[in-house]
Amino acid sequence: MKILIKKATVVNPDITFNADILISNSKIVKISQNIRERADKEIDAEGKFVMPGFIDMHTHLRTPGREDEEDLLSGSQAAAKGGFTTICCMSNTSPCIDNEGLARWIIDEAEKIGLVDILPIGAITRDRKGRELTEFGALAKAGCCALSDDGDSIEDSAIFRKALEYAKMFDLLIISHCEDRSLSQEGAMRESFISSKYGIASIADISESLRVYRDIEIARYVDARLHLAHISCAKSIDIIRKARKGFPRLTCETAPHYFLLTVDDIERGGFSGNYRVNPPLGEKKDTLAIKDALKEGTIDCIATDHAPHSFAEKELPFEQAPCGFIGLELAFSLAYTQLVRNNFIDLSNLVRKMSANPARILKLPLKGEIKEGFVADIVVVNLEKEWRVQEDNLFSKSKNTPFLGQIFKGVVEYTIHRGRIVYKNE
Amino acid sequence: MEGFREKTCVLSAQDIKRTLYRLAHQILEKTPDTGLLALIGIQTRGVFIAQRLKNIIKEVEGIELPLGILDITLYRDDLTTVGPSPLVKETKINFDINDKVVILIDDVLFTGRTVRAALDEITDFGRPKRVELLVLIDRGHRELPIRADFVGKNIPTAKTELVEVRLNEIDKKEEVVVLTPAS
Amino acid sequence: MEGWTKKHIIALKDLSRSEIETIFSIAQNFKEISQREVKKTPTLRGKTVINLFFENSTRTRTSFELAAKRLSADVLNFSSSASSLSKGESIIDTIKNLESYHPDILVVRIGLSASLEVLKKHTRASIVNAGDGKNEHPTQALLDMFTVKEAKGTLEDLKVLIVGDILHSRVARSNIFGFQKFSSTVRVCGPQTLIPYEFEKMGVEVFYDLDAAIKDADVIIMLRIQRERQSGMFFPSIREYVEKFSLTPARIKKAKSNCLILHPGPINWDIEISSTLKERLHPLILRQVENGLAIRMAVLYLIGTQKKDNENTN
Repeated sequence: MKILIKKATVVNPDITFNADILISNSKIVKISQNIRERADKEIDAEGKFVMPGFIDMHTHLRTPGREDEEDLLSGSQAAAKGGFTTICCMSNTSPCIDNEGLARWIIDEAEKIGLVDILPIGAITRDRKGRELTEFGALAKAGCCALSDDGDSIEDSAIFRKALEYAKMFDLLIISHCEDRSLSQEGAMRESFISSKYGIASIADISESLRVYRDIEIARYVDARLHLAHISCAKSIDIIRKARKGFPRLTCETAPHYFLLTVDDIERGGFSGNYRVNPPLGEKKDTLAIKDALKEGTIDCIATDHAPHSFAEKELPFEQAPCGFIGLELAFSLAYTQLVRNNFIDLSNLVRKMSANPARILKLPLKGEIKEGFVADIVVVNLEKEWRVQEDNLFSKSKNTPFLGQIFKGVVEYTIHRGRIVYKNE
Repeated sequence: MEGFREKTCVLSAQDIKRTLYRLAHQILEKTPDTGLLALIGIQTRGVFIAQRLKNIIKEVEGIELPLGILDITLYRDDLTTVGPSPLVKETKINFDINDKVVILIDDVLFTGRTVRAALDEITDFGRPKRVELLVLIDRGHRELPIRADFVGKNIPTAKTELVEVRLNEIDKKEEVVVLTPAS
Repeated sequence: MEGWTKKHIIALKDLSRSEIETIFSIAQNFKEISQREVKKTPTLRGKTVINLFFENSTRTRTSFELAAKRLSADVLNFSSSASSLSKGESIIDTIKNLESYHPDILVVRIGLSASLEVLKKHTRASIVNAGDGKNEHPTQALLDMFTVKEAKGTLEDLKVLIVGDILHSRVARSNIFGFQKFSSTVRVCGPQTLIPYEFEKMGVEVFYDLDAAIKDADVIIMLRIQRERQSGMFFPSIREYVEKFSLTPARIKKAKSNCLILHPGPINWDIEISSTLKERLHPLILRQVENGLAIRMAVLYLIGTQKKDNENTN
């Protein structure tokens, strides 16, 4: 199957240029001006921007266990709509993805669905209990792209150290959720004047930054790769910025809500359960620090932390609501509108954050860039079009997002996965 | 009042004074056994009129009649249909109304609903021997079967008009006027 | 004084000074009803008031119940510990089920802070907050302020001191918002472990030393220490708490001589307040109960007589 994309403005991580792109079977075969070859499908990309397919290092697909909230099909559809061609799903399912059978099953099912690549992130410890290590070798062989107990931090420092050391043998990436449980306890939002004003149980930002510090120190001590999940506060960024200087094996990500929303939005939103997330939304200074960190490269990736929760659950009062927002379908629009249109970063930087860097960190070959010979994972976007986030235009089974009703610019027109169009905007 | 203009002045300050004296005498004439009498004024202007009547009776006969104040807001039949919740003012009836001849006093008798509410409220205080209604102005347009025993002046009005009783104690003026909608 | 138009009473932070004065004025006149032979007016006849208490409280619930009954409303008491909530029925489900009774007013006490905005969406009834988690307890603060106004004649320029577990106290928060609307100054005092983060931003002066905080106070509100809650993390022992934060006759001398002492109750004598001060507090405690009833009648009257068809959803 041949696809020809004409008159594209190609945005690569380091350079932007105009060209036509010829795709054959699953690869990009030619990039140049005025390609005359005939193709089965032609896409007129004049005025549109073409980027390497996005790669989400942090998604929750709720499968197995809560297929009512999301399953592999709806998750794939949501991903494709959001311009993602590879998504990595976290292990906190029920049962937990802590064994090769489940890991392999997820990859196989994703193949059958055939929309996007779904790579499982296996658990670090059995049943994510933070005690016994899982079989890293078997999980790696089954296709896990990384390991994480996301949802929890590994409280025992000795076990975390051993996990990092053991992972080195298989060149597996450990992704760490940084939270000191004894400090966060029953907290529902960031400790701030707002939490004090309304008497809401709260989580100090040092709960995250202390764990960030610990995890980095241990990783540095044993010289292991480490990726920090959903960084949400200025204190964490200060620590990461200093540490990166001598320690290039350290990488980290953030999610769009951490540079878009603050505790003030929770108050404005009437403490609806749709604003509760872990790590919690921070204060203005945190959003500014995150934007700066994205600009200067201290934060490597923007990941969605897509966390579907059924409508009934999110209708609960704030202190009872489960944590997390859906994000696959919104991430690009949110990041583009907030960061690029406001001139914090340019499009190439955004492509680095959402495609090139994840590909590099996860060591996914031939992805993250539009280059001859690379896998044809491509997204075509119309940056001038805007859309309103509404329950009936979301593919995800769950609709829990604080951005409902809001309008953002940057609409995905086509998503191409391994040379096949898996999403077209009608 | 917005949207209204004064049409006529139906009672001057002098008229009000003479009318109140006449009404005071009528009360005494109807119930010679003055020990049975008690005055209850309906908030707000009914209270001032009641006070004045009490003073006049003291002046002409030397007797002190008991005086009560009644706020009928909580007994209204139209609470959820008017705009913002009306303010509840003071109710004070410090004497036993059982077996008394209660003279219920208000400034203007119109639909009769205020008096209906007042009667219900009085019943919660006890069982008077008799309740007689005294009003300064009766302007007609009754919506309930209520009539006054003592009337200062009968004034025919159109339903769209307003009758304002202005008293020195609260309005810094002394007169009764009819207002008509400014077309 | 403007007319009342709010559909709900959820937080003192949302009430204007004028609205508070309206409540006081009406409450004052409601006190008289409780002295009549027939302690009832037909004002809320035919209205259904449901006391929806997800947290136990006999005193507040009884006060609301009597207030509603004196206004001739029909009252339903629903408390959760006894019922299906323990079987897993959610708070939202409970409210939705109660909708079939077409309640006019829900008086809600719940253990979750700032949860009433969400609950509002699931009912057509008006909501009166009887305490939501650690956020607010508006009728308690209103009755405290009303009692102070009765005793002092004014709420302006008073030095108000709140002592104790501020962190977990909705009474403290509501009182702070309330007194500040009348340009009184509020101080809070307690162990640092029980003072919320950045609390000075509330416009209060924070003290960790009661002897300093109590100087020239006009009003002192002592908060209850919940012994069940204090696992040793907030302060090591009752003894040490009493040493630093108990209201003793020696300490009270530093306040103004006519200083008013309030306590939302029930009082842990000789922990929060020395029992030698019992006589001094007793009349005020009774007054607070009486005023509480009048305030709640005023609140139910204002909420219960709102026009049904206008969709003001404040």
